[in-house]
Amino acid sequence: MPPVLLQALSRTLPADALLSHPVDLLTYESDALVHLRAMPGAVVLPRSTAEVAAVVRLCHEHGVPFVARGSGTGLSGGALPRRDGVLVSLARMTHIRHVDLDNQYAVVEPGVTNLEITRRVAPFGFYYAPDPSSQSVCSIGGNVAENSGGAHCLKYGFTVHHVLGVEAVLPTGDVIRLGGPTPDHPGLDLLGVLIGSEGTLAVVTEVTVRLLRRPEAVLTLLAGFPSIDAAGEAVSAIIACGIVPAAVEMMDRLTIDAAEAAVHPNFPPSSAVLIVELDGVEGEVRELFSRVEGVCQRSGAETVEVARDNAARDRIWKGRKAAFAAMGRVSPNYYVQDGVVPRTRLPEVLRRIRDLEQRSGLRIGNVFHAGDGNLHPLICYDESIPGQAERAEWVASEILEYCLDAGGSLTGEHGVGADKRASMAKMFTTDDLDTMQRVRCAFDPRSLCNPGKVFPTPRLCGEVPGPYRAHPIERAGLAERF
Amino acid sequence: MPDAATLQQVEPTAASEVADLLRRADTQGQAVVVCGNRTKARWGVPPQRADVVLSLKRLNAPIEHSAGDLIVTAPAGATLADINALLAGERQWLPLDPWAGDHCTVGGLIATNDSGPRRHRYGAPRDLLIGVEFALANGCLAKGGGRVVKNVAGYDIGRLLCGSFGTLAVITSATFKLSPKPPASRTVVVRTRSEAEARALLIAITQSPLTPSAAEVAWPDTRCLLRFETTVAAAEQQAAVLTRLAAHHGATAEILTETEEKPCWERHATSVRRHAGTLLRVGVLPVDLPKLLTALQSLASESGLRVVAIGRALLGAVLVHVDGDHAQTAALVGQLRTRLKSANGHVSVLATDPEVAHATPRWDEVGNPAVQQLMRAVKAQFDPRGTLCPGGGPGGLT
Ligand SMILES: Cc1cc2nc3c(=O)[nH]c(=O)nc-3n(C[C@H](O)[C@H](O)[C@H](O)COP(=O)(O)OP(=O)(O)OC[C@H]3O[C@@H](n4cnc5c(N)ncnc54)[C@H](O)[C@@H]3O)c2cc1C
Repeated sequence: MPPVLLQALSRTLPADALLSHPVDLLTYESDALVHLRAMPGAVVLPRSTAEVAAVVRLCHEHGVPFVARGSGTGLSGGALPRRDGVLVSLARMTHIRHVDLDNQYAVVEPGVTNLEITRRVAPFGFYYAPDPSSQSVCSIGGNVAENSGGAHCLKYGFTVHHVLGVEAVLPTGDVIRLGGPTPDHPGLDLLGVLIGSEGTLAVVTEVTVRLLRRPEAVLTLLAGFPSIDAAGEAVSAIIACGIVPAAVEMMDRLTIDAAEAAVHPNFPPSSAVLIVELDGVEGEVRELFSRVEGVCQRSGAETVEVARDNAARDRIWKGRKAAFAAMGRVSPNYYVQDGVVPRTRLPEVLRRIRDLEQRSGLRIGNVFHAGDGNLHPLICYDESIPGQAERAEWVASEILEYCLDAGGSLTGEHGVGADKRASMAKMFTTDDLDTMQRVRCAFDPRSLCNPGKVFPTPRLCGEVPGPYRAHPIERAGLAERF
Repeated sequence: MPDAATLQQVEPTAASEVADLLRRADTQGQAVVVCGNRTKARWGVPPQRADVVLSLKRLNAPIEHSAGDLIVTAPAGATLADINALLAGERQWLPLDPWAGDHCTVGGLIATNDSGPRRHRYGAPRDLLIGVEFALANGCLAKGGGRVVKNVAGYDIGRLLCGSFGTLAVITSATFKLSPKPPASRTVVVRTRSEAEARALLIAITQSPLTPSAAEVAWPDTRCLLRFETTVAAAEQQAAVLTRLAAHHGATAEILTETEEKPCWERHATSVRRHAGTLLRVGVLPVDLPKLLTALQSLASESGLRVVAIGRALLGAVLVHVDGDHAQTAALVGQLRTRLKSANGHVSVLATDPEVAHATPRWDEVGNPAVQQLMRAVKAQFDPRGTLCPGGGPGGLT
């Protein structure tokens, strides 16, 4: 950190908006992927777009990297700071600037939490649809960066389907607006590529989100199955009926046990449970729900509990949402993986994971968004036993291989960040990655905006493979490539 | 500009041929214009230069449907009709109903991000695209996204190509997420007595539990078309609820069954699917729709132009077709822009005659100078030598 930059920052920002004392910086060492840590050079806590722009402009002038941070709940090290850089926390930009229910949108600052938006409009019967499990803490800016999803994205889509526009600070310090509450803005869809870019293209300083009307009816069931395969068949059968549930979640025995120990949701003593939720207009939901119940029975469900009221539904979801944190009850340490497989390949991939469990000697819990094939294997280990942590890491990377073998993806919602960047080359070719790099270079030619994330190998923009140039022997007409 | 129609059209049948052709053109400094079935031949800005016309229409097989995964992968030249014919067997569909009708190709659909009434529920191509393969100007074949509905690995290049009008890369194949085809459909045609009434009714619909798949407005014979696609019982029930809501707002409502609604929707679509005149894409806030219609009314009666408008009433996405004198048309576009400016609205000229194009800008400004610079930088990164549809990009920058 060049001292001149620190001085310039302290002249630009109010005293309480700049932290550089090591004790103050500790909080910011990592996001929720705690094993990757670095002490940031400085932390700034701007309160306005103008302050963010001023900070970024100074970083640009001094050639110093910067990393945006929302609530730090990211699970891929996306907000991992740089020793030689500035961490820009958006935690103080928490105003809801504007709510327009007639036109169904809200304009919010990036530090507003996901759930806060819903809280604000709930009294009027509206909500913000994407619902990551971390929604009570994670910021909307982080959601935009990660294109976050939740249990209900099967029917309602991801952040990208619910964000209408943003204001953002480019790596030069220039402030731009992309999209907005009116549709079909002219020009390239840069908003579409900014969402999900993990903070590597710009710092988002305002977000315009779409608000949805709460569905009239919601029905939820919890079904116990004798095996994961039987539960999986039920999911296939539901989809084959032409039903798109609002959510379909599956948990195996180990994760059920963990959830029981932690929050006592009173799940059945089965090998697997399925949570299926339908929402929409009353008549439609009732009709389709009885079909879902029938499918579960025919697929060999041992128990089917229909949530009688909101309290029962909340209890069921509490069990599901507690699953990650509850693993601490059954294992001293655990590693959460996030991978995706085409839904029809789930049985095969789960079988490979079971073999891996036997081979590695580590228990693996499975809790996943069964409707869209997004797996969250929880790999249990004990770091006090030498070698187990390394083995857990190996198991996690094996599982990713299985996902990719099955034609899936490295990540369904947690992002690439610092954690999975080395694996990007397994999913994408050099040309695929070069294309992404072209976008990066258009936004951030000096690679100052969250460098070292997403891409497997850092590269300077000057090195972008330029247009094809003919070799001298081609020019001489001695050889052709076509 | 050389007339693209007189140029030789190349029709490759494999992605590698597309790449080879681009590499050669890029090296030789030739400009390439990309097309599919030419259903939107008049859309977009005619490129400043054109040496080769590249049609993807023969790159049209195979279409791969994975019913259990609710996805389809199709080459750029496959038409929406081809795809939906294949999916129908499994009672699934790609629920897009673009302006151009279903003979448009996948490549053209993505490049223009063309959509129709069902955008209300299902979104535009950019919302349904989950993976894309393409050829860059330098002849590299690359991909973005994948074949799973949930995926956040890397930048979403597919979304960037949506609406890029062939100026960044040539799409060779695309994967979309699908939906089950609803078993039943009912349409309610609502007529209000005034625009204020229409506005109140539309707000009442957003605040009701109704879940239409389309919510359209049509003008000058002002009416709203609400479509309910779900189970038979639920479609009928919602149509009945809407009818009561309409009556409450002093409007009349007529319920159409599946056989009755078909010609109604066909008329609706074809009222602006015209291959002459000027087609505008207008974006306004939903509550400003009546204001837009009032403006069209006065502009049309002052000028004597024939004006038709249809649009997604609850999204504020409207198509306006204008027919008549060129100078008057250009003036109408200008005045519409002026009137909508304070309301954050915007007007893009999707298709028109050269005389109109000379007299009025195609696009509103895409943003401040930093946004303009950024869009130019993206184009320069993807196509540094300006090989692909030079000057034809959205917003007029690329
Ligand atoms: C218990 C738990 C459950 C979770 N469940 C889910 C889930 O169900 N679904 C899901 O998708 N994710 C889930 N996550 C992951 C995480 O909550 C999301 O990725 C979330 O969007 C991160 O938001 P954040 O504000 O914490 O961002 P951070 O962790 O602070 O940052 C994440 C990334 O966003 C960038 N960023 C943050 N703010 C901005 C900004 N304003 N402008 C530009 N870039 C920015 C950062 O640079 C970083 O790359 C979960 C995490 C935990 C700990």
